[in-house]
Amino acid sequence: MQEPELHDLSDDADYAASLQQGSASMMITRSDSGRSTSSSVPEGSEIVYSKDNVTIHPSQYASERISGRLKLIKQGSSLFMTWIPLKGQSTNARLSERDRNLYTIRAVSFTDVRSIRRRTPTFGWQYIIIVLSSGIALPQLYFYNGGVKEFLATIKQHIFIVRSLEDANVFLVNDFQNPLQKTLSSLELPVYIASGPSASVSDGGESSSYELQERIGGSIHDEIHRPSQNPGRQKHKSHDPARDLTIHVLEKFSLVTKFARDTSSQLFRESNSNGYGAIERKSSSQTPPDVPHKPSTDAEIVPEPVPSDPLEFNKMTLVWGKPRQPPLGSEEWATFLDSEGRVMDAKAFKTRIFYGGVEHTIRREVWPFLLGYHAYDSTYAEREYLKSTKKSAYETVRQQWQSISTEQAKRFTKFRERKGLIDKDVVRTDRALPFYDGDDNPNVNILRDILLTYSFYNFDLGYCQGMSDLLSPILFVMEDESESFWCFVALMERLGPNFNRDQNGMHSQLFALSKLVELLDSPLHNYFKQNDCLNYFFCFRWVLIQFKREFEYKKTMRLWEVLWTHYLSEHLHLYVCVAILKRYRNKIIGEHMDFDTLLKFTNELSGHIDLDAILRDAEALCMCAGENGAARIPPGTPPSLPIESENALLYAQDDEVL
Amino acid sequence: MSYAYLFKYIIIGDTGVGKSCLLLQFTDKRFQPVHDLTIGVEFGARMITIDNKPIKLQIWDTAGQESFRSITRSYYRGAAGALLVYDITRRETFNHLASWLEDARQHANANMTIMLIGNKSDLAHRRAVSTEEGEQFAKEHGLIFMEASAKTAQNVEEAFIKTAATIYKKIQDGVFDVSNESYGIKVGYGGIPGSSGGRDGASAQAGGCCS
Repeated sequence: MQEPELHDLSDDADYAASLQQGSASMMITRSDSGRSTSSSVPEGSEIVYSKDNVTIHPSQYASERISGRLKLIKQGSSLFMTWIPLKGQSTNARLSERDRNLYTIRAVSFTDVRSIRRRTPTFGWQYIIIVLSSGIALPQLYFYNGGVKEFLATIKQHIFIVRSLEDANVFLVNDFQNPLQKTLSSLELPVYIASGPSASVSDGGESSSYELQERIGGSIHDEIHRPSQNPGRQKHKSHDPARDLTIHVLEKFSLVTKFARDTSSQLFRESNSNGYGAIERKSSSQTPPDVPHKPSTDAEIVPEPVPSDPLEFNKMTLVWGKPRQPPLGSEEWATFLDSEGRVMDAKAFKTRIFYGGVEHTIRREVWPFLLGYHAYDSTYAEREYLKSTKKSAYETVRQQWQSISTEQAKRFTKFRERKGLIDKDVVRTDRALPFYDGDDNPNVNILRDILLTYSFYNFDLGYCQGMSDLLSPILFVMEDESESFWCFVALMERLGPNFNRDQNGMHSQLFALSKLVELLDSPLHNYFKQNDCLNYFFCFRWVLIQFKREFEYKKTMRLWEVLWTHYLSEHLHLYVCVAILKRYRNKIIGEHMDFDTLLKFTNELSGHIDLDAILRDAEALCMCAGENGAARIPPGTPPSLPIESENALLYAQDDEVL
Repeated sequence: MSYAYLFKYIIIGDTGVGKSCLLLQFTDKRFQPVHDLTIGVEFGARMITIDNKPIKLQIWDTAGQESFRSITRSYYRGAAGALLVYDITRRETFNHLASWLEDARQHANANMTIMLIGNKSDLAHRRAVSTEEGEQFAKEHGLIFMEASAKTAQNVEEAFIKTAATIYKKIQDGVFDVSNESYGIKVGYGGIPGSSGGRDGASAQAGGCCS
């Protein structure tokens, strides 16, 4: 079954360049098995590769394999891939038409492909796994009649792919002819664009995460097959919006595959290293799928099955977002800037940070952009100028309270109260951190001065507990009083409503959270409803201070910069909440947690949450929810940005108010 | 660990009066002047013995700032005891007691035992509220009263235990239907015989979730 391994793909840049110029040196003949032109191919497009007997293995059962035709279609300068199951060729009568449709891969553009991995098992057929730039893997395609080499060579002829430096069986797709792809490339593979093939950072992440990709694909299968194997469940679920959504998403990405059984032992090992999640998952895998929750009326407590998570594709693991990248370093950061210091492609920049965060050494430069204090199109000189004018503006506001005499303060209760509160709180903020520890620590005083100044700058909002938690990392990063102040001001533009006296900002976010859980895990939503937990106060601290107390300091900074990119959603923090809740949903439901127990449980998760895994989950949930998710979040829910804030002029509005 | 009863306590009062320090002194027997301010709620637990019966106290330590009152109110549900704390060196924390009591009366069950604590008794030289005033307020509102110091541990143990003893006596007197968890009492394995038959959830659940 195996094809001989030939070094037919010259991966060097010169070769690629020659292809770019249209001097293709290699003619590829179409594979012999599928010459017929499909009527579905639109005019102006050309089938450049077609292969029958390319098969998907949805499960380990040979009877469930689906044979199909894999095609590469060239349209203009774009290359597409399709895989259509062949009717009547499936050995499996049980396979419904719907399943067949679900597996179909309809015209995936190679601009959406990140990498192709070739696998050559010792026994069995050679197969490939295609990973989309979204991080989601397409089903494994087994080449029963060979043809992997031709497949790759054909692709190579039409678009730019390079062999991964880390793994010779991984090919990174990188189409220079398409501007969109260029953007994606600068995001996905900064190494190849920015600093040449010598570095291998991103591509290391690619290969190391490979098993994960397979898991993602593999996990989908279970979900799709359950309905057909269990008609009762399907019936019960037929009006479940989350389930419909699931199907929708699956169809959208044509996500189906089943990873080989031999990987499961490895997966389980990984799960185990993940704390109590593993136990939870293990128990969930032993639980029958979906039994409606019955309120216990009898005196006897019978362990009830936990309603299954509609989005939980794989019982072994819940992680299914895109793998995290290493943080943005200073060299790569420089490539985002033009000669005068403007961020050339803000979107690519934010996307890059979304997937990896930034190294601590450049946080001081990067955070002001993310927070909206610096405009992306500002130059070095403009920022220097801004710094000096903002410094004097800060000092003016600070002077307002510094000039209050003792006599005046006696008659200024509001001021005394605020100052007293802030004085008390700054000495209770992150004092375990060397930056803030010890008696008479100057940084604690700066923390106080900034908060007090802010309470004059925004007198209506004033000071509220939690603000010091938000300011502490900013001062730690910026190490400059005035700059920290203005970054904090920018952050409070978004998070200020968290501290409204009537708590409406918090309530609206917790409300939106309940709507997202309803969408993404309706059984869990129902559980909360039945147990009088719909106020979501057990997520209060998470939302109020952006998980500051849930993670160690460094992780909090990483999480914040990811949230601040507002990539995918302004409300990613709510999806993070959903991701955490989903991760422990089986424990929550299985142990019948009431409000008190749940509150205690979520409190005690502090320090036990795997940030990277949760971010991946949150990303996937966000993508999964898509427009439906966005529609569930009422307009104006914090931290929605003020209009036009992307390009700064953040403070013009303030002037109007004053 | 098995217990005869589990009592839920809630600690309330203005910010900075020493709620978290009282809790820490009671649960860990130490005073930590530098700790992070409380956001939302923190939890503590300790076993005590009353009438030779092991009793577990599960204590909810709440954030004191005014803005969080709407959240704090949801924590009263099912509390058997409350420690209402003020700072004897800050008059305003004493002045706010009435509004805290109002919250407690509105959102807790009527039989909740409330202990008024004048904290920071070690700072008597900066005293702004006299002991008599505290006593008077407690008397007027039917509260138990003690001055205490989380720093020196003076009366801390006593305050928590006296509250528990009062709750325990109410159980003995039949004030509570202990099978009704809204009173903030869960019956453990050594509880009143017969009473746990009514609702198994009490013993089964309490044993599992509160370690």
